[in-house]
Amino acid sequence: MSLPSACLYTLAAALTIGTAAAAEGSLHLFANGEALAREGFVAPELTRDGWELRFDHVFVTLAGVSALQTDPPYDAHAGGKPRATDTVVFDAIDQMTIDLTDTDAQGRVMLATAPAPAGHYNAVVWSVVPAQSGDWAGQSMVLVGTATRDGASVDFTLTSDATHDYTCGEYVGDARKGFVAAGSDAALELTFHLDHLFGRLDKEDADPMNIHALGFDAFAAGGTHQITLTGLHIGHVGEGHCAVSHR
Amino acid sequence: MLSAIVKPLIAALLLAGPAAAHGAFVDMGTTEAVAIQARYDTGALMAGAQVSVFAPDNPAQPWLTGMTDADGRFVFVPDDRAGQWAVQVRQAGHGAMGYVTVGADGAAITVTASRTGLSWAQRLLMAASVVWGCIGTALYFRRLRPAEPA
Repeated sequence: MSLPSACLYTLAAALTIGTAAAAEGSLHLFANGEALAREGFVAPELTRDGWELRFDHVFVTLAGVSALQTDPPYDAHAGGKPRATDTVVFDAIDQMTIDLTDTDAQGRVMLATAPAPAGHYNAVVWSVVPAQSGDWAGQSMVLVGTATRDGASVDFTLTSDATHDYTCGEYVGDARKGFVAAGSDAALELTFHLDHLFGRLDKEDADPMNIHALGFDAFAAGGTHQITLTGLHIGHVGEGHCAVSHR
Repeated sequence: MLSAIVKPLIAALLLAGPAAAHGAFVDMGTTEAVAIQARYDTGALMAGAQVSVFAPDNPAQPWLTGMTDADGRFVFVPDDRAGQWAVQVRQAGHGAMGYVTVGADGAAITVTASRTGLSWAQRLLMAASVVWGCIGTALYFRRLRPAEPA
């Protein structure tokens, strides 16, 4: 191969790589509190101590949300820092307070859409932080609703001012998510499992979730209570696990 | 008249299927496989859990689906597509992913990650070496002759 030809091939290859690197689609991000947020804890899925809960609001304030392509895939069980090869930062989700009971037809809360280089986004990083403004300034999670047991009902408001930092692996659910192709879009989801907060009567007492969950007995008098979420794994990606730290 | 000829002919053709065989053969060989064992984080085995295997070139659609056995185990043999294979295991709202990378030569299997389950998996993926021998070639077939019919 002559030198000019080699140069042309090199240039062509560089242009090809440049084009591939520029291949971009869109990534939509949703939050989902699942049926327990939307419909409540209804038999047989009562709280671990037998309360029926129905929520008027489940407010969560989010910040620092990024979707990552990681290699190797992030092992949330092992924890540590993901090795990202591409990162999409959702700047729009800076101090965004959402209500997990106020959803679209698919039961999700739309958070944001961002341009994303093509590839598989197999990790998500996000935080739950105290709101800086609004009716619940200073609180990161607020659950408002009604609890019923043995025919008696109480209204409750549970608040948390803790900051939780989540680092999650791949979304796990009915379909794999996060595959962005050039010119097309994909979706990811931050999933909140409220049964880790209240436990579930239809699960075994020895289930780790029930062992650690708060239950509702402590709030049976109704009214407003500050709750401690340390050690609870509320945030997930579908059924997939997240490493969590509380501040 | 035509019917009298055609009907016996069709019957003869039908009988010329498996029933007309004089023996059977079993092809045997060795290969590399991937074995998983799924557990909850309590250590309990995920028996009868739903398994989906995704090939490298079509990661959004399952290449294979199945179910773990009573010991939470599932074994599959990837084809010759090199790259990252993904395995998803789910049961009763708990799920996790594991990954194995198959080399370009189709032989090398390395576990690249595992354990992302909500409440399972001390270990999701173990590379398996269900490889017995395989001396010389990846596939060595040995044909067994059936016993002569009595």
